[in-house]
Amino acid sequence: MNAVATVEESEVLGGRLGRLVIARLKPNEDIIDSAEALCAAHGITLAVVRGGLGSLIDAQLCYLGRNGMQQIKVDGPGVEILSLSGEISQGASRLQAVVADCDGNLYAGRLERGANLSFITVELTLQEWLPD
Amino acid sequence: MTPHFEHHAGVRHFIHGGLPQGPRLLDCTVPDSQELRIVLPLASNVAEQLIKALEGRRYGSAVGRILCGGASHLSYHRMVVTDQPERPYDYGAPVVLDGYITFISGAITVGRDTQGAPLLHCHAGFLDRDGRQHGGHLVLDKLVVGSEPMVIRLCLFDHVAYQVQPDDETHFNLLHPVFQEVS
Repeated sequence: MNAVATVEESEVLGGRLGRLVIARLKPNEDIIDSAEALCAAHGITLAVVRGGLGSLIDAQLCYLGRNGMQQIKVDGPGVEILSLSGEISQGASRLQAVVADCDGNLYAGRLERGANLSFITVELTLQEWLPD
Repeated sequence: MTPHFEHHAGVRHFIHGGLPQGPRLLDCTVPDSQELRIVLPLASNVAEQLIKALEGRRYGSAVGRILCGGASHLSYHRMVVTDQPERPYDYGAPVVLDGYITFISGAITVGRDTQGAPLLHCHAGFLDRDGRQHGGHLVLDKLVVGSEPMVIRLCLFDHVAYQVQPDDETHFNLLHPVFQEVS
């Protein structure tokens, strides 16, 4: 007998973009922890990444594989952030990145908390999401 | 201080030559933003066209993305090891590509130089005509649109700018968020 999947209702939320937080991360600061700290400091409960540009000492990305979460380790120093996207929500942020190593090879995946530290600088711009 | 690596909880840290100073996160807020979608035509120089698109607009700085497009010529840099004790890592010689180049992703910051003029900072990833991947610090002055138009989205904001300033910790000139009135 085939199992019947239960599909939950989609959550549809109207709203608008609010305040911008324009930031620089100094060396050795983690991207997710920093993004959450910036939001907490400004009383923002949900934000989206509008800009993310800079370099990491090393990058640690992950993805869900057949055997659970798989890690992608990109060795630096000087792993370049080419794209950063996702949402910031305290303790539950999900950020994805495309990065390049020092040979110009590209990697993509979800950022692991605490393991993606700014090398020289990261320019990070977040924008508040205000639900109706 | 001699630059060196340290390991904390299994994660590599890098201690730069200059003294680390707090706060470690620098930030400013503004109440809202202005959005631009810019389509750059074939054969155009991206830096020139971006600056032209921003002329006459009231903004402090902007952040954005290269959404899609191609290039016929570009120049980018990767991080290399140097023989400079105070700055042991820096960008190396340019990698120059010609031909059909397909963009995968790109991030742009429009900051301000010390004179207040726009300063473009871009990292991007792309494929060359043989399908090889490339990614790094892209020089927009040397980027020529090719094969198809390039679409860039920018989020402009006023009263705050990413201003270039010397950074005593890393010994680089870096973009810092500062409150600023720009007319």
